Amino acid sequence: MIEDDFYRTSSQYRLWSFTAASLQAQRATTNAVASDRVRAAIRRAQEARRSATSSATGTAVPEVEGSTSTSTSTNHPAKAEEKPIECLTPEEEQQTVSYYCEQIIQLGEAYKPPLPTIVRATAIQYLRRFYLTNSPMTYHPKQIMPCALFLATKTDNYYMSLRQFADGVPGDTTAEDIIAPEFVVMQSLRFTFDVRHPFRGLEGGIMELQALAAGQGQPAPHLAATQTPESLQRGLLALPSSSKTITDRIARAHHTTREILKSAAQITDVYFLFTPAQIWLAALMLADRPLAEYYLDTKLGFPQSSVQEAEAADGLAALRPKLLRTLSDCAAMLQAYKPLASDPEQMKTLRRIIGKKLYHCQNPEKVNLGGAGQKRIPAAALASSAAAAAAAAATPTGGVDSGASESEMERLAKKRKLETAAESSSGSKDIFGGELVMQRTKER
Amino acid sequence: MPSAREAMANRGDDDEVCPVCKSSRYLNPDMQFLINPECYHKMCESCVDRIFSSGPANCPVAGCHKTLRKARFRKQTFEDINVEREVDIRRRVMQILNRREEEFDSKRAWDDFLEQREEIIANLVHGTDVAKTESDLQKYASENMRSIRANQALEAQEASSFKEQQTHEQELARLRREAAKQEYENERRELQASREDVLTRLAAGRPGDAAAIAREGKKVLLKKSSARRSEEDRIRQKQAALRNSDARKAGQGGLTADKADIAGDSGLIKGLKKIVTPEPEKPYDPFGGMVPNKRDYYTLRDFYPSSYLDPIRQDTRMQAGGYDLQEYYSRTLMEAFAGLGCFIDEEVAQRDDAGSLGVSRPAATQGAAQAAVSSTGTPEAS
Repeated sequence: MIEDDFYRTSSQYRLWSFTAASLQAQRATTNAVASDRVRAAIRRAQEARRSATSSATGTAVPEVEGSTSTSTSTNHPAKAEEKPIECLTPEEEQQTVSYYCEQIIQLGEAYKPPLPTIVRATAIQYLRRFYLTNSPMTYHPKQIMPCALFLATKTDNYYMSLRQFADGVPGDTTAEDIIAPEFVVMQSLRFTFDVRHPFRGLEGGIMELQALAAGQGQPAPHLAATQTPESLQRGLLALPSSSKTITDRIARAHHTTREILKSAAQITDVYFLFTPAQIWLAALMLADRPLAEYYLDTKLGFPQSSVQEAEAADGLAALRPKLLRTLSDCAAMLQAYKPLASDPEQMKTLRRIIGKKLYHCQNPEKVNLGGAGQKRIPAAALASSAAAAAAAAATPTGGVDSGASESEMERLAKKRKLETAAESSSGSKDIFGGELVMQRTKER
Repeated sequence: MPSAREAMANRGDDDEVCPVCKSSRYLNPDMQFLINPECYHKMCESCVDRIFSSGPANCPVAGCHKTLRKARFRKQTFEDINVEREVDIRRRVMQILNRREEEFDSKRAWDDFLEQREEIIANLVHGTDVAKTESDLQKYASENMRSIRANQALEAQEASSFKEQQTHEQELARLRREAAKQEYENERRELQASREDVLTRLAAGRPGDAAAIAREGKKVLLKKSSARRSEEDRIRQKQAALRNSDARKAGQGGLTADKADIAGDSGLIKGLKKIVTPEPEKPYDPFGGMVPNKRDYYTLRDFYPSSYLDPIRQDTRMQAGGYDLQEYYSRTLMEAFAGLGCFIDEEVAQRDDAGSLGVSRPAATQGAAQAAVSSTGTPEAS
């Protein structure tokens, strides 16, 4: 179908669509990699602190500091495992992200006038996409969330100045804090800012349903032979109904569907697993099942007629059972959603997760994101980063051999930087620099 | 050459007699015999003048009733009249059946064609099945007028280019010879001059210097000759390069000429290549065969009843900016159905399988890695 091919060209289909299994696998990998890093980083930080307190003379030069700390880590590996660091599980991570997604909705409500639904929805999808490849342990969602929302106001063409935006964010967040992680967020989004929402599709569908009700509906192109506007209107009016008029019914279904799309569709994984057209139809199915099914029939052909015209309606009839299955899957997923705030038990666990656990397992090397935070780096963090660089230099491939990702790459970059610094300092003796041949072999 | 052959013919046929007027060469040494390719009967020049000056007439030889014209009389090339006749026939047939080798599908077809041509020539020469062969030939000639012309033109072109090339080569050879001669002259003159120079210096200088001057003179000579030799080498190389490029150019010329033939299929000759005329180019289709407004799930209407949208039609403030409800309709309906038939669980799984170990995962981690790298890099840059 032509419309489907249009959708297949979108970045949402190409980059941000997953099967349930691949989505889970992706999250598990992200979590595993991040928790390995967090453990390593915290261990390094602890050792750095310990050595900083023990050797008072070594604190002045971070390089010396790093070398000593590596030696201690190699000498006493048992010491580091004294206190196991508890990291978040993938499920806990997801809960955390979901919580902050709901926070986005509330934050949007706080502005005057409230931010449009579409901006909030886009922000939520940005946040969800961001945490597919990043862990809350690496970047705290509290920092990322306002940034995602601000980015969404820009990509959805809803202009707000940064100052104005920062005023609305609760707490003492400054404008710099909000835009500090912006580039990281954009990179993790792989610079695809287009989110295909089901909202406009819903409007289109309701528009057409109203036209059908008014007897002005146009039959679908492949079914023009069997359907007329009058027959469609008759079929629509014949549906079992509890409301007075058909327009009333459509309006009510519209409203309910919209509410589902605003809440359940945002917080669940449906955006990753289904297409916008399927999402809004599934939501409509939840709102008014007979209406949604009738509407689908007008598009795919009625079941009884499709038997005779199975050949004529090239693939439309074949599409039908598959589509119904997909829609019911999607509808089940939407229905299973309960707002976190409504469940006190859930809120309690969440508070524990975010308040305690996440605080303890934050990656200490990632606390400062932007250029503004650069000045007030704690001495311990500086020492630990230097130690990390030195450790990476000592074991070229790195202790955690889990592929190239986040802080691994960062550590390598630091190592490179350190190496060039060392080279420039040692190269002062040799006026013409090192031997060319040696350098070339090194590069290889 | 013609004079020599004439002389030989004259010498050999002292007692030759014109079969028409019976005058002998003995009496008239300047007598010339002419033939007409209609019947190849020999007669003397004066007879031709006498009989055919006033227009076409019958052949005067008894029993031959061919009508001959004066214009077609010519001198005999070969002594044997049969050879003369065969050559004429061959020339005529070759002119008609002038297919070229590249026009045939295979070597075999070309050989068949050659054999067929020889057979036709033999038929005409020996008088077997003449009527049929002639009619075939005529038919073929009328049917394939264009290709025959084209091939003739090609042949003429080839011949002329060959001639041109030959003259060019001769010219080059002449220039080379002249240059060599000039060089030799120069060398000789220089040698002479240097010798004279040495002599004059010897004459002018003191006796003690004699040996030094002689040595110096010899050295100068040597140097000069070696310089000249290297110069010669250079010139020779340049000439060789020039020759090569000429040859290449000529080859290319031949190739391009070959391309230009046109041929039609004929009943007489088998195995000709099919001439494929390229199809005329279709008009440019910017949508690549897609119908721009074709949709599968819905039919767009001009008007949808809606209590929200209807006021817009009357609202000049919205209309003034160019807001078009039609655009809104088409966009919303498109988004309503875009991807309805995309089943992500199937399609993405297929895509991941096809991309060997999953396209999305490594790309995603890569993106994150890049993000991590640049996040460390950016603070420094700013």
